[in-house]
Amino acid sequence: MRRTVVAALVVLLVAGQPQPALAYLKFGVTIGGNQVTLKWAQAPVRYSVSTQSAPQVSVADFQDAVARAFNTWQSVPSATVTYQFAGLTSALPGRDDGLSVLGFQSRPDLDRVLAATSFLIDRTTGALVESDIFFNTAFDWSVSPAGTATRFDLESIALHEIGHLSGLGHSALGETELRDGGRRVLAAEAVMFPIAFASGSIAGRTLKADDIAGITDLYPEADSTRTSGSISGRVTKDNQPVFGAHIVAFSVARGTSVGTFSLGAQGQFSVAALQPGVYILRTEPLDDADLDSFFDNTRTVDLDFRVAFADRVVVVPRGGDSGEIAVKVVRK
Amino acid sequence: MRRFARLAAGVAALSMIGAGAAHAQSAPAAGWGRIEASFGGMWLGNQPLGRADANETTPTGGALKIFTSSSELARAAGVEGRIAVRVLGTLEAEVQGSYAVPQLKVALSSDSEAAPNVTAIEKVQQFTFGGGAVWYLPTRALGTRLVPFVTGGLGQLRQMHQDRVLLETGRYFQVGGGVKGFLVSRSQGFINGLGVRLDVQALVRRDGVAFDDRGHASPSVGASAFVRF
Repeated sequence: MRRTVVAALVVLLVAGQPQPALAYLKFGVTIGGNQVTLKWAQAPVRYSVSTQSAPQVSVADFQDAVARAFNTWQSVPSATVTYQFAGLTSALPGRDDGLSVLGFQSRPDLDRVLAATSFLIDRTTGALVESDIFFNTAFDWSVSPAGTATRFDLESIALHEIGHLSGLGHSALGETELRDGGRRVLAAEAVMFPIAFASGSIAGRTLKADDIAGITDLYPEADSTRTSGSISGRVTKDNQPVFGAHIVAFSVARGTSVGTFSLGAQGQFSVAALQPGVYILRTEPLDDADLDSFFDNTRTVDLDFRVAFADRVVVVPRGGDSGEIAVKVVRK
Repeated sequence: MRRFARLAAGVAALSMIGAGAAHAQSAPAAGWGRIEASFGGMWLGNQPLGRADANETTPTGGALKIFTSSSELARAAGVEGRIAVRVLGTLEAEVQGSYAVPQLKVALSSDSEAAPNVTAIEKVQQFTFGGGAVWYLPTRALGTRLVPFVTGGLGQLRQMHQDRVLLETGRYFQVGGGVKGFLVSRSQGFINGLGVRLDVQALVRRDGVAFDDRGHASPSVGASAFVRF
């Protein structure tokens, strides 16, 4: 078995290579010239917890916090992914040992990385073999139910990282402002937004519609393919395809948003695992996070266009697709 | 004054046209005949569907508004038909159906990144099937040729989105009144009456393309021709 380790520094940095397919942003690998979505082939996904503790976070506290985060993901009714605690281990995250390990590590050199997820992939099938998550003890952590003002909420960050461990890439559903040479999150509507809320916040413990659509797209429950639908279309500017546009499908009935990107050569996009109903499409340039949080090749991402709404209502059918929606944007 | 004079003349003409065909026997308040079929046009007023903000969650759990949407099912013309059966002297039970193609409009505004305001639109095919009752008011103030009535009904609502990709179901309730003008009214023969029916109603539609489970009211006006058997 040939194996490749893909390191993904997450939360504040890049999260690996997105699959340039017409779908929700997922990780992908090229196997025999074909793009294969990175996902677990077997269930439950077994994980171990490192015996390394951190200041004010015991191993038991850590284990409980990550168990809550795993449970949040596997409680999504439309998805089949499940996880199982395999026990404590002295092994450290990031080792090529066949164990998926979550634990603390001291990485003061990564002064902008709260946590990171790495993968071990079977290069013959594209299946995930192992995925490790380390939490950087260069930062202060909290497992308090109400959060702690000066510490980052472990459960929230674990929820994000476990999204990566499951195969999800980053979402762009968030607003930021530049401050002190970095970005501060004003708001986000996806746990998988690449930049964490400030210390003290526990708002990241709850999955949003975007996260639920993503995990459902990766691990669909048998019935969900018949009960949900998708939107597909193309984004163009001056009749030329736009690569890397962020398209948000807003459900008027539910008040929820699910995002995707135009990743096809002709500016195609697709938003999958949507509940049937009426949607509004809003297209914006990807300017609220660093581009390399989403794409390896950032030079082809088009940012020179104005935010725009589609001028038609988009309807998602049960078990089908909206039909191609043409989104035309104009230069700034 | 001129408008009043013209209306009065119209009623008189209607009466004269019907007068020649009237039977000598005095007609019931609701006219002759037991079964009535009617078909005509209608106009539906707009149905507000409410506002919804697209929000994102702030670090404290609050909401940051990205844009606002305001939706309505726009006013539209359509067709409607009824078959009624007299069950009492002044009471009819009827089945009714209608078809219209209103536009679903979603106005988008107040975008946080200054996206131009847009109204997103689609056509919705709307079908209704239901039943109701018509009660003829016991008044002869308008004479035997013009018969006022009150009506109420309820039924099923089917709304098909544009491109026929999704069918939404719901219910409707309506209450209102109107007047029937008899051009022909007679007690013998296959056809016992011909005339025009005018309706003004409050229509409450629930579910269907609406984004919540509340009822949404709108006015409705109809004009149809009827025949009595």
